[in-house]
Amino acid sequence: MSKRTLRKSMGYIKKEYPRTRTIPASWYLSSYKFKFNITHMKPFLDKLKQKKLVGLQCSSCNRIYFPPRQICGKCLVKPDRWIDLRETGRVASFTVTYLKDPETGEVLERPIVCAQLDGADTSYPAQLDPDIEFKDTYIGMPIKVHWAENIKGGLMDIEYYDSIEDSAKDLQPKEE
Amino acid sequence: MEKVGIVGYNQVKLYSDANYGRYEMIFEAVRGALDSAGLKKKDITTVVSATNDYYDGRTISNALTVEPGGGYLADESKVEMDGAHAVLYGLMRILSGNHKLAVVWGGSMASSFPYHTARLYETDPIWERPLAYVNDITSAGFQMRAYMEKFGVSAEDIAKIAVKNRKNAAKNQLALVEAQNPNLTVKDVLESEIYADPVTELMVAQPCDGVAALLLAPEKQALKITDNPVWVIGVGYNQETYYLGERDLSSSKSMELASKMAFNAAGVKNPLSEIDVAELFEAYAHEELILSEAIGFTEKGKGASLSSEIGGDMPINPSGGALGGNPPCATGLIRIIEAVKQLRGEANGYQVKGAEKAIASGQIGLCAQNNILYVLEGGN
Ligand SMILES: [Zn+2]
Repeated sequence: MSKRTLRKSMGYIKKEYPRTRTIPASWYLSSYKFKFNITHMKPFLDKLKQKKLVGLQCSSCNRIYFPPRQICGKCLVKPDRWIDLRETGRVASFTVTYLKDPETGEVLERPIVCAQLDGADTSYPAQLDPDIEFKDTYIGMPIKVHWAENIKGGLMDIEYYDSIEDSAKDLQPKEE
Repeated sequence: MEKVGIVGYNQVKLYSDANYGRYEMIFEAVRGALDSAGLKKKDITTVVSATNDYYDGRTISNALTVEPGGGYLADESKVEMDGAHAVLYGLMRILSGNHKLAVVWGGSMASSFPYHTARLYETDPIWERPLAYVNDITSAGFQMRAYMEKFGVSAEDIAKIAVKNRKNAAKNQLALVEAQNPNLTVKDVLESEIYADPVTELMVAQPCDGVAALLLAPEKQALKITDNPVWVIGVGYNQETYYLGERDLSSSKSMELASKMAFNAAGVKNPLSEIDVAELFEAYAHEELILSEAIGFTEKGKGASLSSEIGGDMPINPSGGALGGNPPCATGLIRIIEAVKQLRGEANGYQVKGAEKAIASGQIGLCAQNNILYVLEGGN
């Protein structure tokens, strides 16, 4: 969210309104637990623990989902084929997000990207290396997974994506 | 399809922070629609509203709207989508043959809650929310970037749409004052505050306060109520996958399919020559181009070449569109009302000459995931 939107959301300074009154309120009901299946992502999470990436392929339309999807919306079936993916990919689109540093209160400009791994048919919103300047980001920019220090077997293990050279060796398919 | 007539409408003036209570605003919209058709409360047989629990700060957002919305001891129900989707439900109630008059109303007060924060919760809690800060604005950044890159469209071309719509809004008394600007330039738009690069503040349809209402009746009844009904001759509705990463953000597949369905029903073969005016729900300036291309007015990527001002080849959003004010749950309904005004010759100050056939669209979801399109025809 932009700085501007944050500002708008935070302070409603009402002018003198003779016809209405405003009562501050919130409707915090309770915290919420999202319950979700891990049956379809167990192999994906196990592989992450080994710093390996797999996509889930729909055997009906052959599309490869990364991250894995429980249901293929196109075919209305459960994708069931695991496909090894490389650590490299491309920026499918990008924009900039404004995050407040909880400690300093400083608003940071961060590029966020739709990251599409090589071999996958889908992208997902992800962070770039914080040192990358926004103006240097472009669609089609080659990127590579930057693993988190402590691997826990979750999507957060991919801490962010590093930018790599177009000619990087990583981009070439490995010879099996 | 049996003919369903639009026999009355009303929209309240849009405000960024209205000096109104929610329920008074609803009453004004619905009462005004009945008055415009010379009807009374007892004539209402079914009411369909469009509101949203989160936007209204309560569960069952239609609970307190029974009286102001005309639902007292009537067949009443709610659609938690755009007002244009509530019209589809109203249409079905009429086509069931059980009803003589449907009131469809929708709206909310964006001044009461942080709209863009609420939309952070639209993203997938498992895969998307923990990873990146994505809401309607940042996803529009992805969308605009993908569109510009794919077709080589410039930010200037997109800013021109914002200029046109905000200039049009200046002629529309009911538009948001903040959106009305007859002297706006492309430079102003490009230099306004960056919301989510490349989207700037003046390319965003500002969420605001507002309510609108529309009356539907079966053919026979419609002709009894008014000499000047507008007929719904086609409707199409489609939705894309929820995940942004699975979609081609540079075009709109759902609008492509929705318009195909609507034009088939209406017997429209060449939209550019057969349609006289279009009111499209563009949540961002670039969406007007993406949607008009999906509808088939131009080839993909060529939307900016169409002359879409009032008096142009295909006037789009002569009222100012959503950029003229975007009250959540009402915006698509207002597009339909604006198309009806054009067909009845009631668009004071921004009338398209001789408009006989019009289209109007509504949408919901990140990057216009879900689109609904109506084809309307003037009665007499
Ligand atoms: Zn499939």
